[in-house]
Amino acid sequence: MAVGRALAGVLRDGTLARAVLTSGVRLAVGYAVALALGVPLGIALARSSLVRQSIGPVVLGLSSVPSICWLPLAILWFGLSEWAIQLVVVLGAALPVAVATESAVRHVPPGIERAARTMGAHGARLMLTVTLPAALPGILAGAKTGWTFALRSLMAGELLFVSGGLGQLLETGRDLGDTALVLAVVVVIVALGRASEVLLFGRVDREIARRWGVEAA
Amino acid sequence: MFAVANGQVAASLPSDPWVPVAPPGRAGAPIALDAVSLRVAAPGGDLEILRGASLRVEAGEFVCLLGPSGSGKSTILNLIAGLARPTSGRVLEGESPVVGPGPDRAVVFQEAALFPWLTLRANVEFPLELQGLRGKARAHRSEQLLRMVHLWRFQDRYPHELSGGMRQRGAIARALATDPAVLLMDEPFASLDAQTREILQGELERIWGVTGKTVVFVTHNVREAVRLADRIVLMGTRPGRILHEETIDLPRPRAANDEGVAAVANGLARRIASEVEKVAREEADDAWVAPGAAGALRSRTRLSLLGLWRSAGRSRAS
Repeated sequence: MAVGRALAGVLRDGTLARAVLTSGVRLAVGYAVALALGVPLGIALARSSLVRQSIGPVVLGLSSVPSICWLPLAILWFGLSEWAIQLVVVLGAALPVAVATESAVRHVPPGIERAARTMGAHGARLMLTVTLPAALPGILAGAKTGWTFALRSLMAGELLFVSGGLGQLLETGRDLGDTALVLAVVVVIVALGRASEVLLFGRVDREIARRWGVEAA
Repeated sequence: MFAVANGQVAASLPSDPWVPVAPPGRAGAPIALDAVSLRVAAPGGDLEILRGASLRVEAGEFVCLLGPSGSGKSTILNLIAGLARPTSGRVLEGESPVVGPGPDRAVVFQEAALFPWLTLRANVEFPLELQGLRGKARAHRSEQLLRMVHLWRFQDRYPHELSGGMRQRGAIARALATDPAVLLMDEPFASLDAQTREILQGELERIWGVTGKTVVFVTHNVREAVRLADRIVLMGTRPGRILHEETIDLPRPRAANDEGVAAVANGLARRIASEVEKVAREEADDAWVAPGAAGALRSRTRLSLLGLWRSAGRSRAS
């Protein structure tokens, strides 16, 4: 009941809408950058032994670092700015995406690529029209992981410094000793996470299930 | 699901219109292997996959490579396809050496390597697209090919919605899409049930008859080889090599249970059995010169000397 009242309260005065918008934009930007970096990095890791041997262990190692650990560094570099938060979000999401992409590309059945090569496909064309589509289920699984990591990193980052966004609304609740507000924000985060997953991945998931005849991993 | 799909195919075969195959396509080209050997680096020294294989396949000829696993038959296929390069010797298509894979030499693999994210039709159109064929011409060509293999009605299905036999027919249609001069088939029917295999063998014989492609067909099934081939190339193991060639001049079309096919197959099977036995005996001799301890000792000495010599060679090389 109290949670419901708190929810209604932040809804009425527009705090919630502002916080959701701020967090949403950050998430969208950070996630897009993470995909744009992570997928090519994963491909390079899978296909170039030079890249794999030089930065492979680093990527694997860093991907197990909770991304919030980057926040102090990010604040030192960028100050208390949008950049600092974005760095945390991008690092949190890009590395799992890269690791999943690498594995997906490496596990494309060799017969698929061999067949494509006998038909005259090679180079970038082979990668774009054969290898990547074949790896899509695995890449998508990585993209999903990346999404939840981005969301987690963002919330953690927002909690730790004054920034607007949902994380800060949580922090406000704590400062005021308002348990109901804290729980209300958690409910909102759960709902947003779930909705974004369905909106972002639902259609692709169904399409993959239809084509491959299996549920995507 | 497969059983149902198979039933559908069997039912659909007679009602499908007879389509006497694609355009006035490119005729087959001759293939020649000239003293081809292949070694690959392996832990514990080089592995000899194929030794001194020489073979000529005439334009439009149907040749089966027959042999046990490890006899290098798939290797020969990959060499002709350009997916592997020989360590020594030459592979020629017509007059020109094979330097890499190309649409003039199509391959059908054991597991239909159809792309799971494309419909059957899009799969067949994939190589056409690579060749820059667009619009009506492409649609027309893919329709022709799918009708040829009796899969026109299934054009919008994804590979997982087709039975194994249908997938292989799709793979054949896709392989023929670029109008290759040579069709290379690597145990294409090995994972199918006997009935489906028999149907596909018949279709392949028909398609080959009409298109006049050069076909090199790898199998370890003696009867399949006799049923399909103009000539059988028998291969042996350790290292992979060509043992013997046999021309099959039984009348066509053939069936796997023809008496003539069965007789030739039995003769060949005996020959293969004795070959396998001989190889096994030779290997036993290598490892253990029986009977008696002296022999064993001698053979051990020889083996260890051989090992020394090999490792010396390796250290020199490195």
